[in-house]
Amino acid sequence: MHTQLREKIEDGFGHFAHLIYRNHWKVLLLVLLFVAGLATQLPKLMMDTSTEGFLHTDDPALTAYAGFRDQFGRDEVLAIAVTAPDLFDLQFLNKLKQLHEELRDNVPYLDDITSLINARNTRGEGSTLIVEDLLEEWPEDAAALAAVKKRAMGNAFYRNLLLSEDATTTVIVIKTEAYSSLGAEGDALDGFDDAFEDDATSIERQFITDDENSELVIAAHRIAERYNGPDFQVRIGGGPEVMYKLKQVMQTNMERFIRLAFGAIAIALFIMFRRITGVVLPLLVVLFSLLSTLSVMAIAGIAFKLPTQILPSFLMAVGVGASVHVLAVFFRHLQQGNSKEDSIAYAMRHSGLAIVMTSFTTAAGLISFAGAEVAPISDLGILASSGVLLSLLFTILLLPALLSIIPLKAKSGRSAEKRHAAMDRIVIGIADFATSRHKLVLVLSSIIILIGIIGATKVRFSHEPYKWMPTSMSVRQAGDFLDQKMGGASVVEVVVDTGRENGLYQPHILKGLERLKQEIEQIREGPVTIGKTLSVVDIIRETNRALNENQQIFYTVPDQRDLIAQEFLLFENSGSDDLEDFVDSQFSKARFTLKMPWTDSIHLYKLSDDLQKRFHQQLGNDVVITVTGMNALLGRTMAATIFSMTQSYIIAAVVITIMMIVLLGDLRIGLISMIPNLAPIILTVGVMGWLDLPMDLFTILIGSIAIGLAVDDTIHFMHNFRRYHLASGDVADAVRRTLLTSGRAMLVTSIVLCLGFFIYMFSILTNLFNFGLLTGLAIGIALLADFFLAPALMAQFYKLDTRGKR
Amino acid sequence: MKSTLSLFAILMMALLPLQAADLTARQIMERVDDRDDGDNGISDMVMTLIDKKGNKRARKIRSYIKDKGEDKQRIMFFMAPADVKDTGFLTYDYDDYSKDDDQWLYLPALGKSKRIASSDKSGSFMGSDFNYSDMTSRNLDAYDFRILDEKEVRGAKTWVIEAIPKTEEEIDETGYSKSVLFVRQDNYMVVRAVLWVNEGGRIKYMDSPKIELIDGIWFATKQTMTTKKNRRTVHKTELNFYNIKFNQPLDQAMFSLRRLEKGL
Repeated sequence: MHTQLREKIEDGFGHFAHLIYRNHWKVLLLVLLFVAGLATQLPKLMMDTSTEGFLHTDDPALTAYAGFRDQFGRDEVLAIAVTAPDLFDLQFLNKLKQLHEELRDNVPYLDDITSLINARNTRGEGSTLIVEDLLEEWPEDAAALAAVKKRAMGNAFYRNLLLSEDATTTVIVIKTEAYSSLGAEGDALDGFDDAFEDDATSIERQFITDDENSELVIAAHRIAERYNGPDFQVRIGGGPEVMYKLKQVMQTNMERFIRLAFGAIAIALFIMFRRITGVVLPLLVVLFSLLSTLSVMAIAGIAFKLPTQILPSFLMAVGVGASVHVLAVFFRHLQQGNSKEDSIAYAMRHSGLAIVMTSFTTAAGLISFAGAEVAPISDLGILASSGVLLSLLFTILLLPALLSIIPLKAKSGRSAEKRHAAMDRIVIGIADFATSRHKLVLVLSSIIILIGIIGATKVRFSHEPYKWMPTSMSVRQAGDFLDQKMGGASVVEVVVDTGRENGLYQPHILKGLERLKQEIEQIREGPVTIGKTLSVVDIIRETNRALNENQQIFYTVPDQRDLIAQEFLLFENSGSDDLEDFVDSQFSKARFTLKMPWTDSIHLYKLSDDLQKRFHQQLGNDVVITVTGMNALLGRTMAATIFSMTQSYIIAAVVITIMMIVLLGDLRIGLISMIPNLAPIILTVGVMGWLDLPMDLFTILIGSIAIGLAVDDTIHFMHNFRRYHLASGDVADAVRRTLLTSGRAMLVTSIVLCLGFFIYMFSILTNLFNFGLLTGLAIGIALLADFFLAPALMAQFYKLDTRGKR
Repeated sequence: MKSTLSLFAILMMALLPLQAADLTARQIMERVDDRDDGDNGISDMVMTLIDKKGNKRARKIRSYIKDKGEDKQRIMFFMAPADVKDTGFLTYDYDDYSKDDDQWLYLPALGKSKRIASSDKSGSFMGSDFNYSDMTSRNLDAYDFRILDEKEVRGAKTWVIEAIPKTEEEIDETGYSKSVLFVRQDNYMVVRAVLWVNEGGRIKYMDSPKIELIDGIWFATKQTMTTKKNRRTVHKTELNFYNIKFNQPLDQAMFSLRRLEKGL
């Protein structure tokens, strides 16, 4: 940047500081009104831990899922597993019935409940077709119990759904409402007045909300826990439970992070400034920007999701840096005996431009997430970058105003100077080493970066929110139990659309689905195991068998179209409404559910393609196959994550490179300055590769966050280096003076940032631990790169440059 | 045959309208129950199933009904769609509530008739929004009735009567935890009903937008049942009746298994 222009801007900041000093009360009042006005919106803040929340509402995968939900309801079920020594014991069954009824009557937003108590039991006895609940007639004696047991164990449909293979565990399956009942209150007797046509707008309906989900899970827990005992062991799993627990964990985490961030920052600030004001003022700035950002979030209707839970503490750590730079200069100037007003103006003149630049580069790194296909990552990009800019605004307005209001004096005592002297010696040592041994530094750095690149190629992607929760949590234990005993409680849904009314009457379609059932239930591909499939095939097979005196050879799909049609009609007429779970009322679409254990989404993405292929192979190309359901969404989230990461890294790198070139006013130096910026990211990703830490929704953020932050140190370094080098023409001297003036603030802000990220290691969610550790590491490496690599690069550059000129 | 009694009732009501106002809810329901709904009747019914997106699906059914003492017999044959043509249902609805109704079906593609054993009347009637308990009369003793209000429905005065089942068993059997019936004061027809489905938070709305006097009997020639959840329509069924005739010479052989298997 042109020297004269820079001086003009710096003078501008000085004048601005004087202006604020003279109007400090007005400025304070203005800021307070602004924040208070925004903060009134805070109660609107929401949370969303749903699987679909990871995707943008207009994502094609979500549109397909909405279509599915509209037709068949919510795919994720609450599974209440009960384990007992003998399931077919009268006492046990009585208790199970009580539990079933209590859940049915008291769990809100319940759409359907199925257990051994009311499981469909269709069978033929002579010329009679019996369609009833398994326990329609309550067994009174041992013989009746044995008959029920035989019937239940012989029913393939129950296996791995309601009954474990070893008959020690039974599951009560609760299907919840798919849609929120918000706004559905009113007098039921008015129902005649709204015409049928007026609710064709059903597409706009809101999915069941996080709060409603929590409400129903809590109700189920409260009831089930009263029944829990040694002979009636209750475990609760399934999507709604996972969603609820993730929300709980997220709340706990957020509170913990905010407290820890406050503590860590306060301590770091106190060590640096040894003044209460040095601690309180930056924290106030941070608090104000946090409040405003969260208000913006509330106004925009953006809910807190799993990745955005880091937002508050992240903003605190990142936002404090600018205040530190201003305060460092201010206190030093004040200490030198200058007046408060002069010190404020001096500090603003000195650091104003740099903090504006660093805030913008940080925001640029973050805004690179804005276009992410993963919704909460995009939210985070937008909100965090707005937060950084809001924090800049408060640093420029609020900090000088507060400094003007609070009475401050220079401190006496030599301890500070002593500390400074010690630190200065270290800094000079580093500076001299880096410039005099620049070749060694460059060679070592190259080797380290190369090792990093090799590691980076080994990085694997992963998205598995369920496994983020530690095994010590009951939801994990229940889930793992269901995975092992019942073939899992998570699902992939396939919808076959024949495109025409009664399309499902065609024998080749149903026969194809029957073959698919056999084929898919055999899938054991590494971590992907299909425990069970559920479809209309099960219903037609059991009806066909029952119509044929229960002979097992008739447990198959009939060959004739009219028989299929008539058997469906019979089933529709038999008192069961189970058909609506598997076909649409036009018999044009069939739902095919794959029940499976939780697995990493990276495999689910492939599974979706694989299923498409298999279904077309069996059913031909006249049908439309849609793979959806919770697991398909997770797979889609994974794909979006990989794409988003690539996109965001490229955007961040390009934008920041351009900014550096413009800021430094030199193409070559701008490009060289990117080496110490990119090195920390390459090394961090390298570490992930070598240590087999997965790239997930959190660790993906590291690159763009780190580059946006690392660049701050580089800016401070390059900015001052250029100034001093211009003056002296001596690289070693310029580096020494740069590190002496800015080095200390760089060190402190880096420590604050490292601590700010290390607090995520106290997370309950295991993957946030990795995120915290690795981002902290990246910041640390960035500081080292600016202390060693950047001076060495400058030394090498100017050596070659001067040689070239000669 | 209840026709003479009911004709008398209609006559009485026309002459003494004031007395009607003093009836208790239970007495009204008894009159509803005793109303002549025809005997030896033949009708064609088009059942239109309408899903929430407005997709329609029609079935055409011919049915014959006969009163046998207090019991009611009914035989129905599907005429369309082609895939289910000649599929038949024969039902004996017993007046004695302790006795399960009998039901047989005949699937032409299978060439066999089967008795269906089910004590549950809460299941769908032919895949429609109506269930079996909607199609048969209720056991009045199993309910507590209460007059909530008097309202006009399409210009006719009705009593709005709440019916609460006394037992869990009745709830299980009908599938309804509560109902509100709109009973016309002039002819004791239930012209509207709101039915709270026991499970899943659904509410069903029965409406009879078209009532005609056929052979001296009030008959709802158009009936709808709309299933709603959270005030949104989940599914709807429309029944339209044609060619309704009562007092036809239908003999007992018409309501036999043999006839069921023979088809129309």
